[in-house]
Amino acid sequence: MQALGFILRRVALLAVVLLAVSVLTFAIVNVLPGDVATAVLGDMATPEQVTAVRAALGLDQPLAERYLRWLWAALQGDFGRSLQHGQAIAPMLSGRLGNSAILGLITLGIAAPLAVALGVVAALKPGGWLDKVIGAIAVGAYALPEYVIGLLFILAFSIWLPLLPGSSLMDPNENPFSRPEALVLPIAVLITGMLAFISQITRASMIQVMGSAYVRTAILKGVPRWRVVMKHALPNLLPPTIAEIGMYFGYVIGGLVVVETLFSYSGLGQMVTNAVSYRDVPVIQAVVLLVAAAYGIGNLIADVAALLMNPRLRS
Amino acid sequence: MNVMTDLAPPVLDVRHLSITYGPLKAVRDVSFRIAPGESLGLIGESGSGKSSIAFAVMRYIKGAASGEVHLAGQEILSLPEPALAALRGRVAAMVYQDPMSALNPAIKVGEQIAEAIRLHRRAGKAEAWARSVELLTRVHLPRPAEIAHRYPHQLSGGQQQRVVIAMALACDPQLLIMDEPTTGLDVTTEAVILELVNELRRETGVAVLFISHNMGVVAQVCDRVGVLYAGQLVEEGTTQQVLRAPLHPYTVALMRAMPSIEGPRRRLAAIPGRLPDMRAPPPGCIFAARCAIADDNCHAEMPALEAAEQGAAGHRSRCHHRDDIATRLPPEPLVEEADLAELTAGRPRLQIVDVQKSFRARPALPFMRGPAPVRAVDHVTLDIAPGRTLAVVGESGSGKSTLARCVAGLILPEEGAIRLENDVLAPLVQKRGRGAQQAVQFIFQNPDAALNPHWSVAQIVGRPMTLYGFERDSAALKRRVIEHLEAVKLGERYLSLYPREMSGGEKQRVSIARAFAAQPRLIVCDEPTSALDISVQAAILNELLALQRQHDTSYLFISHDLGVVRHVAHQVAIMRQGRIVESGPPSAVFGTPREDYTKALIAAIPTLEPRQAPALVTA
Repeated sequence: MQALGFILRRVALLAVVLLAVSVLTFAIVNVLPGDVATAVLGDMATPEQVTAVRAALGLDQPLAERYLRWLWAALQGDFGRSLQHGQAIAPMLSGRLGNSAILGLITLGIAAPLAVALGVVAALKPGGWLDKVIGAIAVGAYALPEYVIGLLFILAFSIWLPLLPGSSLMDPNENPFSRPEALVLPIAVLITGMLAFISQITRASMIQVMGSAYVRTAILKGVPRWRVVMKHALPNLLPPTIAEIGMYFGYVIGGLVVVETLFSYSGLGQMVTNAVSYRDVPVIQAVVLLVAAAYGIGNLIADVAALLMNPRLRS
Repeated sequence: MNVMTDLAPPVLDVRHLSITYGPLKAVRDVSFRIAPGESLGLIGESGSGKSSIAFAVMRYIKGAASGEVHLAGQEILSLPEPALAALRGRVAAMVYQDPMSALNPAIKVGEQIAEAIRLHRRAGKAEAWARSVELLTRVHLPRPAEIAHRYPHQLSGGQQQRVVIAMALACDPQLLIMDEPTTGLDVTTEAVILELVNELRRETGVAVLFISHNMGVVAQVCDRVGVLYAGQLVEEGTTQQVLRAPLHPYTVALMRAMPSIEGPRRRLAAIPGRLPDMRAPPPGCIFAARCAIADDNCHAEMPALEAAEQGAAGHRSRCHHRDDIATRLPPEPLVEEADLAELTAGRPRLQIVDVQKSFRARPALPFMRGPAPVRAVDHVTLDIAPGRTLAVVGESGSGKSTLARCVAGLILPEEGAIRLENDVLAPLVQKRGRGAQQAVQFIFQNPDAALNPHWSVAQIVGRPMTLYGFERDSAALKRRVIEHLEAVKLGERYLSLYPREMSGGEKQRVSIARAFAAQPRLIVCDEPTSALDISVQAAILNELLALQRQHDTSYLFISHDLGVVRHVAHQVAIMRQGRIVESGPPSAVFGTPREDYTKALIAAIPTLEPRQAPALVTA
C-alpha cells in the first residue's frame, strides 16, 4: 500500500518535472540570441523572406501561445518538423532512440553487475592488493573523460591492433546488431566510466555492511564466509546501490552524446549534437524532453526496484 | 549444583586471558570457569573489558588475545577458521545487546533461525523451518508460525530479543553468551526476558555467560558472579556472596552507587576519580587510586585474587584488605531526608495544563485517509513546585519525552498551556521571549549530540551568559565560567577542551554547567544519566541535587528508571500511553502504589533478591 503510494507520487512528480523541463527548454531555446529564420535562410536573406519564414514557422505569434500549441502537439506524439531535414521529427526519433537505448542498456546490463562485483571483492579485504588494484583503475578511469578513453581505445584496438572498427558510420535506420563488432568499442568506453564510479560506491557501502551487527551475528552463528557475503550482506547492499545506479543513469546519457559523436554512431546523442550546431530548435526540444523522460523513468525504475527489495519500505 | 560443578568438566574454561587493542591493555590475565548448566555473570562498567571477554570466547575480537579459552574441551584461540565456524552457533551461541541491529533487516526471522539449523545439523529446508517455528514457540512468541514469516522491523524490541534467543538456541548449544541482553529494553520486557532465560536454563540445562552492568539483573539469572574493573577480575564468588557480602572495595562502591527501589532511602555514593590509563596500568592494585582504604602497599603491589582467611573458598577478592574490609570501609552515608522533603511549598513554578500532542503518519497520497493519529500526550496536567523535582516515569512510547519537549517548546502541542509562574509561555521556544527562553533550560540524554563538537567548553558554558547579557567583560565571563565548571566538579583546565576530549560523564557535567549558566528557573532533564555508568550516574545525580538546593531550581525529570527517580524526585508521575496513571510523592507511589500498572512496573525491577514468581506483565 505504502509502496504503491510511493510509486504513484513519484510518477506524478515525474510528470511535473517533465513539464518544467519542457517549459525551460522552450524558453531557453527561444530566448537565445539569433533568429531561427535567419539561421534557416542564411545571411543573404531579404527581410521579406525572413518575415515569410517566420510566419510559416509561427514565430510571429506570442511565446506562450506557441508553447501551448507545441505542448499539445507533443502530447499527441507530434514534435513538428526538423528545420534541417524538413522531415517530421517523431519518425526520426524512434530509430535513433532505439539505437541509443541498445547502447545504454547493454552498458548498464554489463557494467552494473560487474561494478557491484568489483566493489564487493574490493571491500572483502580493504587495503588488500586486490582492493588497491581495483581502486587504482577506478580512480584512473574516473579521472579521464569519455572522449579521452574513447580515443585511447580507438588508438589501441583499431589502429595499433586493428581488431575492431573505430567508427560505426551507421545509417540511422540500420539495425545495430547487423554489425555487432561496431558496438564493442562504444560500449567498452561507457562501461569503463561507469565501473569506476559504481565500484567505489559499492565498496564503501559493502565495508559498512560487513562491519554491521547483523553480519557479526551471521559469522557467530557459524555461517561460512561466502554465505555471509551472498545471503547476509548482499540483500542489504543492493537496494541503496541500485538507487545509486539510477542516479548514474544521467551520466550514461551524457556519455552517450560524447561516445555517439566520437564513433559516428547514429543515436539520439549524435542527433542532438547536429541539431545544436544547426540551431534545429524543434529537434533540440524533442530530444531534450525525451532524454529528460528517459532519465526520470530510469531513476524511477531504480528507486522502485530498491524499494521492492527492502522489506522495511515494502510493507 | 556445586557437586556437579566440581566433577563435570567445565563447558568454558578461560585461563589467563589477556586482550590488547594496540597499546591498550583491555583485559589482563582473566581466568574463570563455567560448569555445565551453570550461569556466571560478569559485572563491570564501561572500559572493564566485559564485552571483549564475551566476544573472545567466540574468538571475534579485533585486538590480540593471549592465554587459553577452552570451549567444551577445545582450545579456540588456536583453532583453524573452519573448525571455529563449526563451533560457533552449535556449541556456543550468542545473544546481543541491541536485537534490532543484531537481526538482519532483509531476512525473515524464521529463515534467520532455520539457517543455523541447516548449516550445523544438515537438516532439510522444511525440517529446519519447522524447528524454527518450534523454537519461536519455545521462547513464548504468540502465533509463532506467523511471526516466522515476519521481518525484524515488524516486531517489538522484546519480540526481537526472543527471536535472537531462539536463534541462539537453534542447535541446542552448551553455552549461551549473553552480552547485556536486556539493556535498552523496558523494565517489564526485561523481567520477562530474564524469566525466559531462567526457564531455559532449568529446562535445557544450558550454561550461561551473562555480561551486564546491572547488578540487579545479574542477581536474577546468575549462580556466580565475577566483578571486572579496568580489565581485571577483582572479585568472584556466588551471587549471594558477592552481592550481599562483597569483599572488594570496588564492588562495595558499585553497590553504594546503585540507586535502588528497596530498603531505606540512602544517599548515592559516587566513586571518585576515573579509570586508570589502560596503556600503562599502575603496578599495584588497579583500583587503588579511587579506593577509600588504599594504603602504600596497595599502590606498590598488585594483590592476588584469593579467598579471605575466614571466608568461603569460592569467594575470592583481589584486595590486600579482603580479611577485614567490612571494618575498614567507612559506613554508608545515610540520606539527609531534608534533601527530599516532599512537601510542596507555595505556588507552583511550572504548570502543565491539559496538554495534548498527537502524531499522525502521512497518508500514502495527499487525498487518501492516513492511519489514525497516535496520542503521545493525552491531556496531561501537572505542577512543579519551586526548587522541587517532578519526575515523569514511563516506558518507551509512554509519551514522557514528548511531554518534555512540549514544556521546552521544541514541539507544538495541539491543546493546553505551559505556565511559568505568572506567564503563559508561547508554545514554541522560538516564539518565546529572551526572558522565557532563559528561564527554561534543557539537559539532554546524549551529551554527544547536545554539545557542539567545534566549540570549546569555555564557549559552550559562556554562551548563555553572553546570550542573555549577564556578562560582557571577558575576564569576568571567564571567572563565571570557571565557577560554573567548579560547581559540577570540573576545573579551569577544562576551559580549552572540546567535547571529543572528554568522557561521557564529563560531557554531561558540561551540559549541566551550561544549563545553570543561564540561571534558569526550571530545567527539563530528559534521561540525563541513562547513557552513563552507575558510578558516574551517582555523582551526576548528587550534583543535580546540590545545584538545585543552591539555586532553588525546579526540575522536570524524565526517566525510565524508578530507582533513579526515587533518589531525586519530590513528586512522581507514572505515565503510560500518553496519560498520567498515578502521581504523588515517591514514598506513596513506590510504597503503596494504587494502580496495577505502577505495581507491575515496581515488581518488574530486578533487585538483588532473585525473583521467584514469574513476571506479571507480558511483553
